[in-house]
Parts: sequence; C-alpha cells; structure tokens
Amino acid sequence: MADPASTPLGKMLLEEITPVVMVLCTPYVEESCLKNGLSLIQLLSPFCDFTNIDVPVRTASDQPYRLRKFKLRLFYSSDIRQPNLEVAKERLKKVITHVGEKNFLESSDPSQVNNLLSRPESEMLPSWFQFFNKELVRTLSFSDHEAFDHPVACLLVVSSKDDEPVNRFVDLFNTNKLPSLLNDGAMDPKIMKHYLLLHDNQDGPFNKATKLLADMRNAFGQNDCQIICFNSSQDGKIHHQDNPWAPFKSDALPTENLGGFLNLDDLNEIKDFMQELSSKHIIPYMEQKIRVLNQQVSATRKGFRNQIKNLWWRKGKEDTIDTPNGPVYTFNSIESQIRILGDYAFMLGDYELALSNYRLISTDYKLDKAWKRYAGVQEMMGLTYFLLDQSRKDAEYCMENAFNTYLKLGSAGRRNTTRCGLWWAEMLKTRDQLKEAATVYFRICGEDTLHSAVMLEQASFCYLLSKPPMLHKYGFHLVLSGDHYKKCDQIKHAIRTYRSAIPVYKGTTWSLIKDHVHFHIGQWYALLGMYDVAVTHMLEVLASTHQSKTTQELFLRDFLQIVQKTGKTFEVLKLQLPVINISSLKVIFEDQRTNASAAAARVKESLWRSLEEDIIPSSTARSNWLELQSKIMPRKYKESNICVAGEALKVDIEFKNPLQIPISVSSVSLMCELCANPEEDANSSNNEVQNNEDRTSTSSGDINSCLILSEVDFSLEGGETTVVQLTVTPRIEGILKIVGVKWKLSSAVVGLCNFEFNPVNRVVRGRRKQHSPSSDLKFLVIKSLPRLQGFIHSLPEKTYAGDLWPLVLELSNQSKSPVKNLKMKISNPRFLYAGNQKELNADFPACLKKKMNVEKSGRHANVNKTLQNLYHFPEDISVQEETSLSWPLWFHAAVPGNIPLYITIYYEMEGVSSIMKYRTLRMHYNLQVLPSLDVSFQLSTRPSRSQEFLLRMDVVNKTSSECFQVHQLSSVGQQWEISLLQPVDSILPSQSLFAGQSLSCFFMLKDRRRSSTSEDSIPSLSHIQSDVRLGPQDNSEAFFDVSSSPLADFHDCERSSRGMSSQGCEYKVDFVFITQLLKGNSDSSSNTPLVFSHHACDCSPSSMSPISWLVDGPRTIQHNFSAPPCEVNLKMTITNSSDAIASVHINTFDSPSSNNQLINDATTSQPPEHQSGWSEIPIVNDTKIITTEALTTRVPKSLSLESVPQFIWSGTSSTKLVLQPRSTAEIPLQICVFTPGIYDLSNYILNWNLTPVNDGENQGEANKSSGVCQGYPYYLSVLESNFKD
Amino acid sequence: MTTTACFIIVSRNDIPIYEAEVGSAAKREDAAQLPQFILQAALDIVQDLAWTTSAMFLKAIDKFNDLVVSVYVTADRTRFMLLLDSRSDDGIKSFFQEVHELYIKSLLNPLYLPGSRITS
Repeated sequence: MADPASTPLGKMLLEEITPVVMVLCTPYVEESCLKNGLSLIQLLSPFCDFTNIDVPVRTASDQPYRLRKFKLRLFYSSDIRQPNLEVAKERLKKVITHVGEKNFLESSDPSQVNNLLSRPESEMLPSWFQFFNKELVRTLSFSDHEAFDHPVACLLVVSSKDDEPVNRFVDLFNTNKLPSLLNDGAMDPKIMKHYLLLHDNQDGPFNKATKLLADMRNAFGQNDCQIICFNSSQDGKIHHQDNPWAPFKSDALPTENLGGFLNLDDLNEIKDFMQELSSKHIIPYMEQKIRVLNQQVSATRKGFRNQIKNLWWRKGKEDTIDTPNGPVYTFNSIESQIRILGDYAFMLGDYELALSNYRLISTDYKLDKAWKRYAGVQEMMGLTYFLLDQSRKDAEYCMENAFNTYLKLGSAGRRNTTRCGLWWAEMLKTRDQLKEAATVYFRICGEDTLHSAVMLEQASFCYLLSKPPMLHKYGFHLVLSGDHYKKCDQIKHAIRTYRSAIPVYKGTTWSLIKDHVHFHIGQWYALLGMYDVAVTHMLEVLASTHQSKTTQELFLRDFLQIVQKTGKTFEVLKLQLPVINISSLKVIFEDQRTNASAAAARVKESLWRSLEEDIIPSSTARSNWLELQSKIMPRKYKESNICVAGEALKVDIEFKNPLQIPISVSSVSLMCELCANPEEDANSSNNEVQNNEDRTSTSSGDINSCLILSEVDFSLEGGETTVVQLTVTPRIEGILKIVGVKWKLSSAVVGLCNFEFNPVNRVVRGRRKQHSPSSDLKFLVIKSLPRLQGFIHSLPEKTYAGDLWPLVLELSNQSKSPVKNLKMKISNPRFLYAGNQKELNADFPACLKKKMNVEKSGRHANVNKTLQNLYHFPEDISVQEETSLSWPLWFHAAVPGNIPLYITIYYEMEGVSSIMKYRTLRMHYNLQVLPSLDVSFQLSTRPSRSQEFLLRMDVVNKTSSECFQVHQLSSVGQQWEISLLQPVDSILPSQSLFAGQSLSCFFMLKDRRRSSTSEDSIPSLSHIQSDVRLGPQDNSEAFFDVSSSPLADFHDCERSSRGMSSQGCEYKVDFVFITQLLKGNSDSSSNTPLVFSHHACDCSPSSMSPISWLVDGPRTIQHNFSAPPCEVNLKMTITNSSDAIASVHINTFDSPSSNNQLINDATTSQPPEHQSGWSEIPIVNDTKIITTEALTTRVPKSLSLESVPQFIWSGTSSTKLVLQPRSTAEIPLQICVFTPGIYDLSNYILNWNLTPVNDGENQGEANKSSGVCQGYPYYLSVLESNFKD
Repeated sequence: MTTTACFIIVSRNDIPIYEAEVGSAAKREDAAQLPQFILQAALDIVQDLAWTTSAMFLKAIDKFNDLVVSVYVTADRTRFMLLLDSRSDDGIKSFFQEVHELYIKSLLNPLYLPGSRITS
C-alpha cells in the first residue's frame, strides 16, 4: 500500500487534525478585509496550508526530523465552541438539498449494469460524499474530550485605524469574550499569543503604522509582534489568475473580484507572515510544550513505581465519583496533559510518541469509566496505527472498539459514532475492504434518517466498487437509502437513488422488487409534478399479475390519478392493460368472396376453395383477371388484398385482463390509414411514394368521412379474456392500411398497439405464399360492388334424422346493379337439395304425394346435377337491383350427428368493376341431427321360390319423446313387388311408434323382372305395388312418390354417398320408409305433419348366390322294408340366374364326418365376402361376422339331428353339369333308405363356378365367380307299410 | 411472539422459481417486497460463500436488522433461501434437507423443465 498519508483518509486527517489558531480581531480589521470581499480568516486561509514547509522538528526524542506538510486552522474565537446541533443539521440538510437539485437536473440514467461498471470510479462515486463527510466531521469539532481542536495559539489582529492599538490588543484577549473551552478549565488559558498589526494602505501612510508597531513591540515583546500592509492596489481591479480564495468561499458569490485590492506584494507579505508564524512560533512552541509535557508524564506515570501508584490511586478513586460521563478532567490533570501530549505529537507527525501516550491514557480512561474519552483515545489510536501503517488488525480493532464504545454511550455519542464510523469506513476503503466498509456505513445509520440515507448510499457504492461487484447489495442499499431520503422529504435524492437501482433490477423476475421500485419512482415523480415521467414508470407496474388484489387496485388508482393530473389524455404505445393477444389477430375481409354470416367467415379457406373449385372461372380466367389487375395497379399494390368500398373489414382481436380487478375499456377502435388510389401516377415509383405521403397527410384531415370505424366498449373482470370484433369500412377507393388498434383505459389513458411488425394470422387469404406481414394489413379498396346477401329461411338447428322439409333460400341484392349467372354448390347434397322454382309455393307435404299423371322426364337431368353437388340457376334468373330472389330448397336430415352445411353461391356482376367480375357468397350452417328411427332390413330367400324373398323390417324409435306414425314402405324401382305378409293392424294397431318402441314387420318381395322373364307377361300396370301402405288401411291418402323429386333425388344422393352406383342391380333392393311426425308435437310449430323418410340401399338376401336349386320329390313314402331297400327318386331343379355360364358340381355325402370336414374346408377356403348378405350400411364387418357365425352354427346342428345316416345316396356321388346363362336344368337324384324314419336330405353340397361370358359387364356378379352351397333340409318321411306283402 | 418467514427457491439464473411466505406476523402491504429485497441482496454473499465450503447448508449468511438469511445450495446451484427472524440452525438444516428431497422429486418429473417455476 502506498503511503498512508497520501490516501484519502490520510489526506483528510492531515487536513483536519492540525493545530488551531484562534483569531481575535477588531471591527476595523474586518472592515478593511471586506473591501476584498473576504473576511480576515478567509484572507489568511489560503496561506495556512504548507505543502513543503521543511522545518526541523525535535520532539521527545533527541533525533530531530523534518516536517514537510503542515497546516494551520484559523478560527474566530467566537467559533471556537461546540457547534450548535440544529444549525449544523440545517447546514447539512442544505448541502444535501443543494446537491440533490444539482444532481437531479443533470442526472443521466445508466441503462445497463455493464455501463455502470465500466465507468471510471471517480465518475461513479458522487463527489459530494467527500464534502458531506467533511462537513459531518466538522460538526464535532471543539469537543471537550479531544485536544486536537484546542487552539494552540492565539492571533490578535488590530487595524492601524484603531485608536490606541496597544490597548485594543489587551482588550481583545479579554476573558469574557474567550471561548468557553478556555474558561471552563478544559483547556489551558495560557496559550501562545501573537500580535499582528494590519495596515490598510488606502487609509493612510505607512509610517504611522511603523510607529504603532514599535509601541507594540515594547508592550508585548520583540518577537511576537508583526505588521502587514495590504490593500496596496488603489483601484481594486487586480485580477488573480487562479484565485486562491475561491475554494474557501462557501457561498455562491462570484469569485472574480475577490482580493481585488491585493497586489502581488500584499500576497507575498501575507504568505511570508503565515510561514513565519507557523515555523518560527507555532511549531517551536508545540515542540517545547511536547517536551515539557513529556517530562511531566515521564515523571508521574512512567516507570514501574508510578504505574503501581497510579493503579492504587485509581482504585481508591473509583467509588467516589460516578457520573455518567465519567470524571471531569481539567487541563492540568495528568490525563488531559497526556492527551494533549498525544495530540500535539500527532499533529507534528510524531506518531510513535502519540501512540504511546494514547495507549497510556486509554487504560486510565477505561479504569475511570470515562467512556467517551476512552473511545476518543481509541479512535485516535486507530488513526495513528493507520498512519503508521503498522498493524492493520490493531487499527481496525481500535476503531471498532471506539465505535462500539461510542455506540454504548447512546445519543450522547451519536455523532462521535458517525465520525468514527466514517473514518473507519474510509480506512477500510483505503485497504480495499469495501465490503466491510459497506457494513460500517450501514452500522452508522442511526436516528437521523437523512444522514442514514447518505450513509446507505455510500454503502451501496462500496458494494458496487467491491470486487467482484455485489450488484444485488448495491441495489438493495440504494433502495434503502432512497426510502430514507423520502422520509426526510429529499424526493429528488430518493428518485435519483431509485433510478440508479433500476439497471440492477432490470429484466429481473423478482417481480415484487421491480414493482416496488417503479411504483415509488412513479409516485415521487408525481409528487414533483413531473407527471410524464411518472406515467412511464407507473406503466411498468400496471400489469403486475402477481400482486394482490389490493395492490393492483392501488397501482391502477394511482396511475389513473397521475394521468388525470397531467390534464391530457396520454397515448401510450405499449400499454399493458389489457393485454392484447397479437397472435389472435384475425382479419376477415371480403373480396370476391363474401360471407353470409360470421360463422361462414370462420370456416377454413381450404374448405371453401375445394367447394368452389368447379364454379369459379377456371385458371385461364383467373390469369386474365390477374393480368387485368396488374395492368391497372402498380406493382407495389398488386399483392395487396382487395376489399370493396362500403363493405366492412372485420378484425377479431383478443383482449385479456391480467389483473384480478375489473377494468373498463372503452372506445376500442382500429387505427387505419386510407390514402387515395395512386392509380394515375403509377409509372414512376419515386413519384408515387411522394404522392402517397402527400395524400396520406391530406386525407388524414377528412379521414372520418372516408372511413367508418366501429367503437367497442367493454369491461373485463379479473382474468377475463374477450374477443372483440372491430370493423372498418372504407368509403372511397384507395389504399387502406390497418395500422393498429387503440383503446381507452378507464376513459383516461389511450393505449395504442401497432400490428406493424407482428405476424398476422390471416384467415381469408391463403392462396399466396409469402408476404411481409405489413402487406397483409394493406388493402386495395375498389369501387363499390353489388353484394348478395343470402339467408335460408326456417332452417332448423335441431332436427330428427330423416326429416324432409322444404326451405326457402332468399338472396337479396342491396346494390344498384343486377347480378346474374347464379350457381350454387352445396357441400352435402344428402341434406340440402335445390328444387325447382315452381315448387316454391307448392303445398307441403301434398306435393310429395303421387299424382296420377306424373311425368318422369326431368328426373335424369337432375341426377347429373346432384352428382356434382352443383346447381345452375336457370339462365334467365338474375337478381335485380334492390330486390331479392327466393328459391326453394329441399332439406333432408340424412344421418344423425352434428352436420356442417356449406353453401356457396356464385354470381357475376356486369360491367361494374374491371378488377372483380364475379363474387361468391358463402353460407355456413350447423345442424344438429338427432337419431329418430333406426330402420334395418333383412332379406332372405324363400327356399322354395327362388323369385320370392322374405323381407324383415325392424324399426326402433330411438327418440325420447317423439311418436312417429308409420306411413309407407316403398321399394325403389319398378322391378320389385312388395306386399304385407300380415295386415299391419295386427302388428301395430295404433299405426304409430312411441318413444323407444320397436316394430318388426314381414313383407314378401317378388322379383317381378324375373317372373316376367319366366312368364313373359307385360309389367305395365303393376308398378303401384312397389309401395305398401303401413298406415291406416282405409285411408285414401296417396302414397308419397319415391320416384320423383325430391325423394328420388335424395335417394340418389344416399346411394352415391354410400359409394354405390345409381344403377340398381338384381337381387339388390332399395327401400324408402316413410313416417310422419304428427302435428302438435313439441318440436313442430307448423300445422303440417313432418315427413320423415329413411332410405336403405342395396338390400340383398343373405348368402344369396346366382345358383338356386329346388329339390323336389315325394314327401312321404310307405315302404315294406322286408322287401329290398327302398329307393326314392328325387328331382333337383337348378337355376342359373346369372348372365354367365355356370358349371355346377353336386357332391353327396353319406358320412357326416366327411361332410363336416368339407364344409369346414369350404368355409375357410372361401373368401368371406361371398357370404355376406345384404348390407344396409357401409360397415360390412359386423354383418359379415354374424352371417359366418350363423352358418357355422347351423352346420353342427343339422348334423347332430342325424347322427347316423340311415340312408345312402345311390347313383353318382358327384354330378357335374354346365348351365347356360339364365337357364334351368333338372337332375335326377336317388337315395336308398333302409329303415323307416324321417330323413333330412341335406348332406350334399353344391359347388358352382361361373365362367363370365364375354366382358365382365356386371361387376358384382363377375366377382362372385364361384361358391359352395350347403344343401338345405329336405325332410322325407319313410313309413313301414305292413298291409301288403 | 410473531415470526416472519419467507422461503424462496432461486434457480441458477437468479430467478425465483418458488416463493412462499409463512409466519404469523401480520403481512404488511407496504413491506411485501422487503423479504425479496433482503434475499436477493444475499445472493451476492451466497455467490462468494458457495465456493468456500463443500457443505450445502451455508448456515446464516446474512442479516438485515433482526432478520436472518439462511441458505442451502444444491448441486445444480439452485439456492434455497430462508428468511427468519429467529435462528435455530438444526431446525433450519433439517427443513432444507426436506425441501431438497422434495425439490429433487419435482426435478424428476419429466414434465418439469429445470429452471422453470414450480407450482404447487
């Protein structure tokens, strides 16, 4: 470490602990000094500091040494007393306030912690700390327990103007006027005196003064009298280059004129005088005093004898005096003398001597319990150790001891504690023990909050400067210090400290801390009236979600108060309240695509596009359209979105309240820019930009007339999230840009949020690949176009499956020009179907009924349309201006579930816009279809009649409350004849199905086509029989016509949706089951009964094969078994109903085991598809499994009936034959029976193989190219006939 | 006697990941941030001390007025900091050990991202 004297503490000590000279002067002296703007002391002070005095000093030891640095402190006698506490405090406060003002104005915020550290140390540490500390130490000067502030000498100054100067000198040193220190015995009143005669050259000639000097010399001695002539300059205009008085002038007066009457000679004279005073008088005097005192001390206290004596004596004294401040020591007590000796030695730089004396005295004071003196001595010991640079530990120990002792004294030692602490901390800082220094500073904090604040701030800087920097501690102490500053109304200081703490806490997640800091800065700025800054800080804490509800309320309330005080509405760019979810931003706009409802806008664009693929003009048209567009618009805007003037753009945005308290948000609106279309000056881009800007500025004036912005008000409860739809409607053509959103919080603060640089989640446009986000919010506004509005009347939201209902689509055109060429596409033709215009006013459900003169011409034309889901409105249909068009639609709830319906309507405008030729209207509805009736059909062949089938229909009412009235069952097509097996009254007397009820019906189904081929009859009149009435038989109501629109159309849709061809094939029957829901039921408000139709497609008999056969023969035979075995002749008729040549192979088995074996083989080898029977729903798996199971279970049963065959097949066991398409053959069969009984002749199988003729015209048949059929039971009773031999 | 206690788990990035305030002393609205301040300031000292000892429990390392900060440093430099106005080293130590176990359990949770906020 460097020389301790050159450290800050060393310098301070050398400055502060120096001999004091008491100055006594007459008013005339002051008067002449004041001519220069200075008091006497101020005049002399610059010359009291000697940096190189070079005086030989000999103190107690014989070895002299040279003193380099020396300083005198001059004080008026009136100032030599303990300073008034209040005044001192006031002065310190002023110092701080002054600094506060100054620093506050020039404060620049370090934004980063790194910046904070990178700055040089000197810059970081506020310089006023030093000054403040000095002032603080000075408040303690002239205490009675320390000797270094006691005047060493007395300087008596008399002006030559005074009358009888010699007498004046005597008067001056009058005991009445002397400070109390000298009078109350704490200090030796016999101090060295020096007499100075001051002569003002302006007042008269010098010779009078010399005469006076001679008188003085006579009176006071030759050496102690001196004269100074000054104010030699007459005009007072002397300007000193570097004014020596400037630093001594504390107040803020201008310093230029200081010493204006002093010329260089005067200055030199003063300087010489001071030098002489210190070197020739004061130092020798001190030396002498030291020597004298040292001798006394040695005589009384040194040596073994004296020590013992001292101890003894002190012990005796102990019980006599016990004042709280310890015993009172007068100046001539040995203790005081030792202290003086020590202090003098310290001042003269003889630290060894000082230390030994301090040690000596400290034990005495300790024994005497004179704690204040003890602490003072300890303090000095610490400083001496420090200056000697010997034992750090000792120095620290002493300082700590002193500090604690002062602390023990309580309030009396309070300020001493402070001084001691300051020195101690300074000492530690010198030794780079910054952390310890900081704790010392922290300990200094006491009752005086202002001082504590400064100390804490100093502590914080210690932490900052320590290595490594302890930033957290730094911030913490700054905040603590700020709190203290605030307590003593030093708001500017408080703000300053808090602000310097901000970089420490920036970006921290210690949220409470951050809120605290920002909130208080904001509050304090508000107190100072700087509302703008206050608001910025308050903004930081607004969205503090973690705080308690009351705190959030407090924050918000204060914030709003501050904002109110500003008196204007603030526009805050990033207001955190409420939080805007930028990613939720959705822009919904309509170019050529228009939406009928908000629901339609939310549907994915791809869905619409796939739907619209067929109806919008093809790619060639589109490229034309693009070309057209690029010709018209500058390249820059080619990519911007298009919207139409007068039509609203909708922006969905999500607001969230992060707080627990409700907030109210009002006037939420979009911020938009609209500038007129730069169509005309599209040639040069430079020009264009220029013009754009001009136009923007000009048009901003009348922006209100060009744009209509919606305003939304809402309030958010704590934690609530809400989506707000904002709209903007441009009214003129041009470029519209959505800039952002703005809102008003609690009708006080306007929050702005720019969308500019945020990625926008765009909904409507997905066609183009990549764009800068800003272009997404830029729209080309084109001239107003017709826009159709569409609505479907009375479309139910909730219905039962099977519901059939006419609807009306209403398209209205609000604009001035007609639209034409309408096309409509429906996503789900099973549910919606466009009707004919003439059906509009038809009577429902009567129009569905069969009429006698039905013509069926239009049907096939319809089929084509339905397949494409596309409906062309007739050419001549157009929607004229300001009219509306109604169009019938048929609705059929085909399947239960939640069904989305998408309808898009295409239309063309004529000659309105060159950019947009057509538009589409999109409609979206959601339906909830509840299950109603579950209808299933089962078809089985009638074994005996190959052309007849048994149809079983199972109906279950699955609703919870509805009651359906069954009406009719129809088969589609004309080739099937259907008839009831039993009258419906016997099955269902009420003709209605109640909730949960089920119904099974059996019908007979006849293949009329086959019968026609066999019978060759004419099938003209019998098509009515394809319907069966299930309702009241006596009802003369007509059947619903399933072969005409819309039932037929819906049936086709059903078929196509199930992936079946529309061509009905043989053995597959489609059924339509129609019921009615009676009027007066809860759901139906209308009077007409609701019609429900249920469609079943492609019912085919289970295990149906193209080959059918019939075993024919006698059923009962009487035979005498005593005769040779009975032979029975049977005939098998095999029919090939397919269009292919079939080869049939009949195997008969006698043994059941082999039969079983073969069956198993057959079932395993056979692809399971061929066994599948009818399928009502596309899911084939279930039914298939059931049928195979049914088959396998049936086999063992039939075998078990007949464990031992009592008969054998006679003749061939295997017969093979080839059947031509659609032909029949007969095969004779023969069995031999040995015993009477009942025989089941089912143990044979038919293997058949189809060889397709020419091409596979019929896919279904061609697939089924081979199969195995189990013989069906044929029971033969053989009886014993006894009657005849 | 009223006691205040504030317990904070600080991740290695000096981010508090768990905060709990217990104690019978009436919570003062204006001093809610004080424990945070004290504990955060103590981080500096932990920084120094953690490298001087191999023990995880650092005992009482800092105090502010009568509030004592006790710290426990886990192997991944996560710090458990407890602010108490009464000291009983043994009790605090066992408390920290229990917390450490619980902390490890939450670390083992595959859905927990180390360094993120612990919610429970």
